[in-house]
Amino acid sequence: MIHLQGVSVVYPDGTRALSGIDLQVDRGEFAFLVGASGSGKSTLLHLVYRELTPTEGRIIISGQDVAGLPRERVPYLRRNVGVIFQDFRLLPDKNCWENVAFALDVVGASRKEKYRKVPLALELVGLSEKEQSFPNELSGGEQQRVSIARALVNNPAILVADEPTGNLDPDISWEIIQLLTKIAERGTTILCATHDRVIVDGMRKRVVSLVGGTIVRDARGGGGYDEP
Amino acid sequence: MNLSMVEFLLQQTWQAIRRNGLMSLATSSNMAVALLILSGFFLMTLNLQHMADVEARKANITVDLEEDADAAGIEAELWGDMRVGEIRSRSKEEALEDYAAIMGGGDPESFVEALGENPLPDAIIVSPKDPQDMAAVADVARNIEGIAEVRYREQVTGKLLTLAHGIKIAGVVAAVLMGVATLLIVSTTIRLTIYARRREIRIMQLVGATNSFIRLPFILEGAFHGVMGGAVSTILVLASYSWVHAYVAQHLSFMELVYSSTFAVLFGLGAMVCGILFGVVGSVIGLHSYLREV
Ligand SMILES: Nc1ncnc2c1ncn2[C@@H]1O[C@H](COP(=O)(O)OP(=O)(O)O)[C@@H](O)[C@H]1O
Ligand SMILES: [Mg+2]
Repeated sequence: MIHLQGVSVVYPDGTRALSGIDLQVDRGEFAFLVGASGSGKSTLLHLVYRELTPTEGRIIISGQDVAGLPRERVPYLRRNVGVIFQDFRLLPDKNCWENVAFALDVVGASRKEKYRKVPLALELVGLSEKEQSFPNELSGGEQQRVSIARALVNNPAILVADEPTGNLDPDISWEIIQLLTKIAERGTTILCATHDRVIVDGMRKRVVSLVGGTIVRDARGGGGYDEP
Repeated sequence: MNLSMVEFLLQQTWQAIRRNGLMSLATSSNMAVALLILSGFFLMTLNLQHMADVEARKANITVDLEEDADAAGIEAELWGDMRVGEIRSRSKEEALEDYAAIMGGGDPESFVEALGENPLPDAIIVSPKDPQDMAAVADVARNIEGIAEVRYREQVTGKLLTLAHGIKIAGVVAAVLMGVATLLIVSTTIRLTIYARRREIRIMQLVGATNSFIRLPFILEGAFHGVMGGAVSTILVLASYSWVHAYVAQHLSFMELVYSSTFAVLFGLGAMVCGILFGVVGSVIGLHSYLREV
């Protein structure tokens, strides 16, 4: 589903952010990407949703090499790769329903499609009751749920999460990660960057550790933050 | 492109225009002023050229013949000059009738009685193909045997054309200046919109909106200012132009302005198209400098 082969990234200023990355994440798999700040987690995720092209190597997403993907094809890749962030990135002047529908609006979905898909996505994240609320009326955890609903409403095969619990209290973080694993069980491939040791240790999922831009450990069968 | 997509794009555009508030108003107004000035130059040039045309059609040379001159021979000789476009002969009786008409429509016979006899000569009226050749043709006529006098009205056509030409150049200069200013203002407004919407644009990119879809509302915003400017300037220009037309018809009846409902409609459409063009190009410039990454 996600397949990186011999990938390196050197930023224009000469910073070497990733070197020799080989990583494969299968359909429906849930993997943590862990590492200290600056270890290259965000850079790796950027490659997956084609925010960045690698200096070297191949990146195959759903069977397609995206490194050489022409720019005008990028939007269609993005519809197949949902993304969520630490800061939620909701539109403050739109309510929950509209924030989720926004992802359908911009890809030209019909009204009928919106009325079918938005409630399903909100139900999946457990926010059906709050569809009329605006972001500033929601807790951090609820806002992250809205952003997950928005990322999933186009039914992407892959969901990429960049420190999704970075702004949340521990118990709320736990709920969000539980939600993400539930989504993976439905067949979505999830790659979740985090440096939240407690969560990683608690989940016993696959853990890929980055140090200075290289993978130093890949606990494929499940592990903790820094022990197998 | 389905209906809800169109609805979404229009809603985005309208929101941006409202959110920009004063800036939107300033942009539309600026567009209106620019089009107003351009319209002014356009109408002046158009009318001067029209008047020059009308004058040119009237322009001719009167060749008075001597008593018992060989009219047919002289006509043939005149036809020998390539620049001659039209020749018509005018007998002394016709000349008298024309004269009587100019003098207030009296009976020509009464003039003959008053003067004893008809003093006017037979004449040939010559029109050159190009009014600019008036003097040259007159010179040719002067050298023909049997001609008493060659007269032509002092050339207004040439002066009108020179004036029209001058105003056209001033108009082009004004068009360039106003055009640049308008493009600058529209592109600045669009940049403000892009700035105000940067979070939204970022999210659109992340959820897979195509570049053209992201750009379209901004293009529409530019076009909106063009339509508004075009409409306002058309209303103002046509209102004042119809006043000028009425004034000219009453007080300066020797002048004839271009004026019809077809003209008004074409003019309005033209102003609108110009406005939309300015607006769209302005947007594209604004988008280009700020949304290169989109
Ligand atoms: N746009 C950029 N230009 C130059 N260097 C960058 C850029 N983004 C990240 N880096 C550098 O690349 C390295 C990896 O950063 P990043 O992928 O953001 O790490 P993480 O997400 O694990 O904190 C860091 O040294 C960072 O300073
Ligand atoms: Mg990061």
